[in-house]
Amino acid sequence: MATYAEMVEIYEDIKSDFRYDHELNGCLNCGICTATCPSAQFYDYSPREIVQLLWTENVEQIYDAMQEKIWACAQCMTCAARCPFKNSPGGLVAIMREVAIKHGMQSAKDVLRPFGRVMLKLITTGNQLSPDMIQPDHFPDWGPNIQKVSGDLKILRKAIPMKTLQTTDTAWEVSLKTSVEMYTIWEMTGVLKQLETMDENLYDVIEDFIEEKREEYADWLEEQEDNKEDA
Amino acid sequence: MNDAVLVVGAGPTGLSAAHGVASVGRRVVLVEKQDTLGGAPILSGYAKLVPSGEWAKDAIGRMVKRVEDSPLVEIHKGARVTKLGGDAGNFNATLSNGKTVSAGAVILGTGFTHFDAINKPEWGFGTYADVVTTTQVEQMVGAGKIACPSDGRTPERVCILLCVGSRDRQIGREWCSKICCTVSTNLAMEIKELSPETDVYIYYMDIRTFGLYEDKFYWKSQEEFKTKFVKARIAEVTMAPDGKRLLVKGEDTLVKRPIVIPFDLVVHAIGMDPNEDNPEIAKVFGVGLEKHGFIDRDEQYTSTFSSTRRGIYVGGAALAPEDIDTCISHGLAMAMRAVGEMAASRHQRAA
Repeated sequence: MATYAEMVEIYEDIKSDFRYDHELNGCLNCGICTATCPSAQFYDYSPREIVQLLWTENVEQIYDAMQEKIWACAQCMTCAARCPFKNSPGGLVAIMREVAIKHGMQSAKDVLRPFGRVMLKLITTGNQLSPDMIQPDHFPDWGPNIQKVSGDLKILRKAIPMKTLQTTDTAWEVSLKTSVEMYTIWEMTGVLKQLETMDENLYDVIEDFIEEKREEYADWLEEQEDNKEDA
Repeated sequence: MNDAVLVVGAGPTGLSAAHGVASVGRRVVLVEKQDTLGGAPILSGYAKLVPSGEWAKDAIGRMVKRVEDSPLVEIHKGARVTKLGGDAGNFNATLSNGKTVSAGAVILGTGFTHFDAINKPEWGFGTYADVVTTTQVEQMVGAGKIACPSDGRTPERVCILLCVGSRDRQIGREWCSKICCTVSTNLAMEIKELSPETDVYIYYMDIRTFGLYEDKFYWKSQEEFKTKFVKARIAEVTMAPDGKRLLVKGEDTLVKRPIVIPFDLVVHAIGMDPNEDNPEIAKVFGVGLEKHGFIDRDEQYTSTFSSTRRGIYVGGAALAPEDIDTCISHGLAMAMRAVGEMAASRHQRAA
């Protein structure tokens, strides 16, 4: 449990985000966001409640909502499309999630833990899926309807007048230069910092990987220079 | 110096202004683009007016007759002003019927346009026959029968959705249309009078039955007519599996859960848009529009009801959403401004 001062700090972090004033203009408590919210149908989650907590600067309840509620949002942004004030409750949730990560909140760690493998693939290769991997058996969370769609996937692909499987082999062969550029982006945008806060072990693995790739790239550059001189 | 006043638009504002000018012995040229005088209450077939409870055709009808009977008022129906030259004191207007008019002042009572509910597709207007607008229900009340357009059945449950085309940044309507709350509570009572078995619900963000409309309409509709008020803005209107009733999805903000309620008839309380002709009106008369698209006004305290161009006055729903009673007083105030200004410049020249 955080102290009141910590809760205030968390709230200040949310409020000082550059998107905050754009996502929150005011609130008439009309409830159109919660009415339209798919998550509100199934979970103890209400976008209107999130907006109200922020609008009334209720730091304790905001902290409480960040323990569980904000992770129920599917980020579909229907609330933002409906709000007559043009608030974006989903956008506010995105900010709250980032702040939860920044503060290393346990709720964020719990939610993100199952995605470690995805994160590893994404950060190291910039990709985590190739077209041939879209097999219903691998993704039970896609629900029963995916079976109907994917049943004739091979035939359906043939109906598309362009290549669709050409990346199956190349999906994992990311060019060295692109990879290194990507790592710089992850680094400079704070993604690696967030990862370090959330999962130190995974961060170490990825850091080692990045280190290795960067060295490889430096070697390759040197090689190019040498070749030039030889020629 | 010309002593006539050109009045544009023959709704409550223009009719009131025309009468006002004629009542002090000045000539009026009244130009109305439609073939019928009376404005929105007549053209859209409003039922009983707020707050008098008089039928629109009787109340506004008297205003029309008063102007038609006046020897000082020259009326051009089915005509528009296509050109306006000259200055305050000496305007000359060309009409679409080929006539020309000289006038010392111009009064714009050009009114508003009803919001087209098709611009909120998630609320089902234009998709489902049983989603209608307040003007359509006004017409039903006028005809004496409340029925679902799809099959003519009497609705067991009706809901009225407030703020359709008002207070909605998503569609660029950042204004309150002022009258819809009162009109809707009035309609709820009229529905109940015609069909006592029908339950009426009103979905609201806020209830703005301003001034004396609070107890006469808001409270009365609850206390005497058992209208149910639900504080919720509706997310969407869809068809029930039975293919007959409409499902209205909102959040019951009191119990804080999303809730779907079936209705037979869904009514959009449509707001007041700036007159769709305003860009043209602004060009022809050389007046400015304010940021929402209504006609702009000059300083109000000492240059009351002036547009941004000297000698041209603007009032009623051309300025902003307005109720009929207020439009009528705007009309008289503009008549005072117009004849007053003309008298002042005459004195000046005499001196």
